Amino acid sequence: MRAALNSRRQFLRGASVLLAGAALPLRDLAATVDQPFGNGTRELVVYPQKRPLMRITTRPPHLETPFSVFNEGPITPNDAFFVRYHLANIPLSVDLNAYRLRVHGKVGQELSLSLEDLQRIGDAEELVAVNQCAGNSRGYSMPRVFGAQLGNGSMGNARWAGLPLRRLLQKAGIAADATQVTFNGLDTPVLPATSDFIKSLAIDDALSSDVLLAWNMNNEPIPMLNGYPLKLIVPGYFGTYWVKHLCDIEVINTPFAGHDALFMTTAYRLPDNECGCVPPGTQPANTVPIGRFKVRSFVTSLTNGSILHRGRTTQIKGIAFDGGYGIKTVQISIDGGVSWRDAILGENLGKYSFREWRVALTPTQVGPLELRVRASNTRNETQPAEAAWNPAGYARNVIESMHLVVV
Amino acid sequence: MRAVLCLVAACLAAYAADAITLPPETAALAHSPLPGYMVAMQKCGICHSADYITLQPPHMTFEQWGKEMAKMQHTYGAPISDAEITLLAAYLASTYGDAVTVPKEARVSPASLAQSDVQTLINSNGCLGCHALQQKIVGPAFRDVAAKYRGNPEALVTVESHIRSGGQGRWGAVPMPPFSGLDARELEMLATFVLQQH
Repeated sequence: MRAALNSRRQFLRGASVLLAGAALPLRDLAATVDQPFGNGTRELVVYPQKRPLMRITTRPPHLETPFSVFNEGPITPNDAFFVRYHLANIPLSVDLNAYRLRVHGKVGQELSLSLEDLQRIGDAEELVAVNQCAGNSRGYSMPRVFGAQLGNGSMGNARWAGLPLRRLLQKAGIAADATQVTFNGLDTPVLPATSDFIKSLAIDDALSSDVLLAWNMNNEPIPMLNGYPLKLIVPGYFGTYWVKHLCDIEVINTPFAGHDALFMTTAYRLPDNECGCVPPGTQPANTVPIGRFKVRSFVTSLTNGSILHRGRTTQIKGIAFDGGYGIKTVQISIDGGVSWRDAILGENLGKYSFREWRVALTPTQVGPLELRVRASNTRNETQPAEAAWNPAGYARNVIESMHLVVV
Repeated sequence: MRAVLCLVAACLAAYAADAITLPPETAALAHSPLPGYMVAMQKCGICHSADYITLQPPHMTFEQWGKEMAKMQHTYGAPISDAEITLLAAYLASTYGDAVTVPKEARVSPASLAQSDVQTLINSNGCLGCHALQQKIVGPAFRDVAAKYRGNPEALVTVESHIRSGGQGRWGAVPMPPFSGLDARELEMLATFVLQQH
């Protein structure tokens, strides 16, 4: 809501503590990342196949990418990619000799496929796509809401390779009255009373050309914590649909319902209106499953408190993305959103990818400077000046604002 | 059926040689004399680590924490009673939220939670969320625990210790949370009950 709360400020802390003396207990030596919301300090912890990431939760593991990574390039490296699970029984290894992907339900022919079987069905296709948590930036919700308290780093952009889902469904043969396809992974709940994590797509979405069954991420096998050996890629849609360790696909001709439909029927839902929002602190009357991302843009080359010099030109860099229609413009404002200047867009890696942008800025007077950035897509959808609020803190896409100092 | 097949695959996969190892849990709940602290120690950790709680926004009220606990009960199947929801909300709002919103009467354990017999102990500690008498659910069947320690002179003290401290690996990969809030009499009652099953 207020600019100061929207702004992003992260800095690594801990190096100075390391120098302070060897007598400190180990816990005090851990590097941390501070974020400008209450209780927003996160420890940097090394997990298997990962560089130090911000630990959100330990069991089930939930790790966030430090925001500085997004300034390294448009592709998020595998070892920096965020991790998010819902259920604590997660696979720590997968034996490819035993692993099978099952396809069943309203199909002409049930299938049980090893990864090799799947890879022989057709040529692999590739696309670059952003995966973003529905709750990315939840920590900035005001008033605050319960849930994983995420900063802006629960997103990443990777080159995914695998078999188009429609090729597999065509091989199995879909019944004429099929309405939905459900997707389950190897992770399971601790208690039988807890629902399994199963997602569904409408049949038309499941058959759309860009949904992939990916086994490669940035030209390598998918890291274990990101869904090895097979991950559902639903470009433009929030990460909740990107089922990890995918092992079961069922075609149904009824609404997806029941105990194990909870993550469609109860969780991951937005208010059923254009903004997906309600007045802060209130509950929506009707909700719908969350779907595509909204337009977002970020400055990556500066952080809150960065210093610019009067009369000196600084190249400002950032990223923008949307739900798969493609970024059309990125603009910055240094006068509180009264006037806007176009940035230059970088290489186009596809409509689902981060789009880099840059713009030259030469401050003319010393003092505080508020830098805002907004993007719009090919459907002329853009970002709101005021944050929309919903009870779960999903789908934040307010215009980001950063406070700089000109000297 | 679907879930069963995935479980089978996960179990086979779990014994592959190249398994990753996750860092240990270090987060812990803040100690409190409030009765909800013991409930939180026993129940929350069944499904998630303590940092799920400790990272929540500051200043959440007793009412907000109560609604969140009701969500854990209704939506996610947490083995907590309505009385325990009140105790949990009082502990969580007092410790991590807005303490002044906690009503006085919510800070004490109601008489209905008095643990007088083993059945009450089993119910109030959620044992049957993970165990059954005769078959494995998430944890081992009580019958199988009894069989493992039959004839072992250390059986009672061993099972008491396992209930008190929790653990992982004796019966599979899913950890049993520690039930460190139980006193010696309660541990003996529970361990005796488990070892009597056959």
